[in-house]
Amino acid sequence: MRERGSPLFRRHRPSWRAPVELLSFGLYFLCAVLLVLSRIGHGAIADARDGLVDLTAPLLEVASIPAIEARRAIERGRLYAAAFKEVDHLKKENESLKQWEWQTKLLERKVAHLRSLLNAVEEPGLVYATGRVIADARGPFVRSALINLGRKDGVRIGYAVINGDGLVGRTVDTGESFARVLLLNDLNSRIPVLVGPAGVRGLASGDNSAELKLNFLPDDAKAYPGDEVYTSGSDGVLPRGLRVGVVSGTPGALKVKPYAKLNALDAVSVLFFDTPALQRADPQVAAAPAALSALPTDKADHPATASASLPIAAIMEHVGAAGLPSVGGQAQAER
Amino acid sequence: MTKYLPALSVLFAVVATAVPWGLPADATFILPLVVVMMVFCWRTIPGAALPPAGAVGIGLLADLMSGGPIGYWALMCLIGATVGGRAGSLREGSDFVLHWLIWSALVTVLAGFGWLLASAYYFRWIDWWPIAFGAMTSIVLFPVVMFGLLWVRHGRLGPERNEIFRGGA
Repeated sequence: MRERGSPLFRRHRPSWRAPVELLSFGLYFLCAVLLVLSRIGHGAIADARDGLVDLTAPLLEVASIPAIEARRAIERGRLYAAAFKEVDHLKKENESLKQWEWQTKLLERKVAHLRSLLNAVEEPGLVYATGRVIADARGPFVRSALINLGRKDGVRIGYAVINGDGLVGRTVDTGESFARVLLLNDLNSRIPVLVGPAGVRGLASGDNSAELKLNFLPDDAKAYPGDEVYTSGSDGVLPRGLRVGVVSGTPGALKVKPYAKLNALDAVSVLFFDTPALQRADPQVAAAPAALSALPTDKADHPATASASLPIAAIMEHVGAAGLPSVGGQAQAER
Repeated sequence: MTKYLPALSVLFAVVATAVPWGLPADATFILPLVVVMMVFCWRTIPGAALPPAGAVGIGLLADLMSGGPIGYWALMCLIGATVGGRAGSLREGSDFVLHWLIWSALVTVLAGFGWLLASAYYFRWIDWWPIAFGAMTSIVLFPVVMFGLLWVRHGRLGPERNEIFRGGA
């Protein structure tokens, strides 16, 4: 005989059982308490998170391999599908770059001459380490990524993270073998920037969407779609001159389209750029007596840590053949 | 092994959500909602054991791995487990459409609640589109996940299959 009544209203339990109901209420209460503790930034929560992520980092590293390979296979497939078109495009781009190369060499000579006239002090080269993204953060709250570089590699909170395309974000949390990178488009990301050839000051803020809002521009700012956006360094945290993106949108509602593909990150480089602001934020930062850019003293010979003059081959060896992360990064770091 | 199959499969899904798939920014809410959907589905499959405490544990793991606030996905999974437990057992397809409707209603409420909670957490209105898109996609994906879990339970690792093999021997 068919049982009557909708299954929606049919209960498994024949009667009310106090312990089960209490347990259920207790679990809801626990979730609420954890949310509040998380909001106020309780240390125990942060410690638990660091411990667990340190524990699961090797698992995530292994688990991310199929995803990364699948992504690469799709990209390769797209490339093969448009190979002829791509070759034509690259030929044109190559011609254009040859012109740029000639102009750059000319400008380099001019700059060197002017610097010698001014007796300008040489800027220190930035030191960086290259690693891989092993996990993504999902959900309405955060846009972050875990990378397989941690305190043992000299990574500290607040360091800039770049890839071959441009700035990716900055480190906000570090464990022994991992670091969490707050991406540019995260709700909490605020990057002081310079816009266009005039170097108009502004603030690029993330809102969890693909593009960044461009705020606090002066009223008479000469900023137009297509202008390049780069870091100003006025926050005392990020180095000046890192490529961020290009201005998009319409006048009055300008946005920044990041150069880096933030949803498909693979190999990234962490810049060791220690500033007084960072040392306040992360007391474990090794003091750099002479230069802002400092190689971690205890990890000077670590294979993941490279100076700006390190050959690309050595970096390739660390990140794998498909990495190609730091060619642009090196150029940016030296800007 | 079969006893731990629900928890293990959801754990596997939690790890899969943390892996960098390269999904666009609008699609970032889909995978965590699939985890909640799996919790809901396991609670409706007859004989499958995934207690609310287990769902909270899995949600906490998702929170810890995602870098978001601790307790958010735990709460979502707990709500999914509670509603799944009260929705009645699935009778091999006869109640499937009803469960699909229940999930559609639940995920709509969860999306609204999640958006409000996220906005309250950050004291600002956050973009609702990724959450709405994730919720709609999860409604479309429901049959795939439900029949996938039924296949996992009865097709490969279920006790019925073991009995068949023992009977054959």
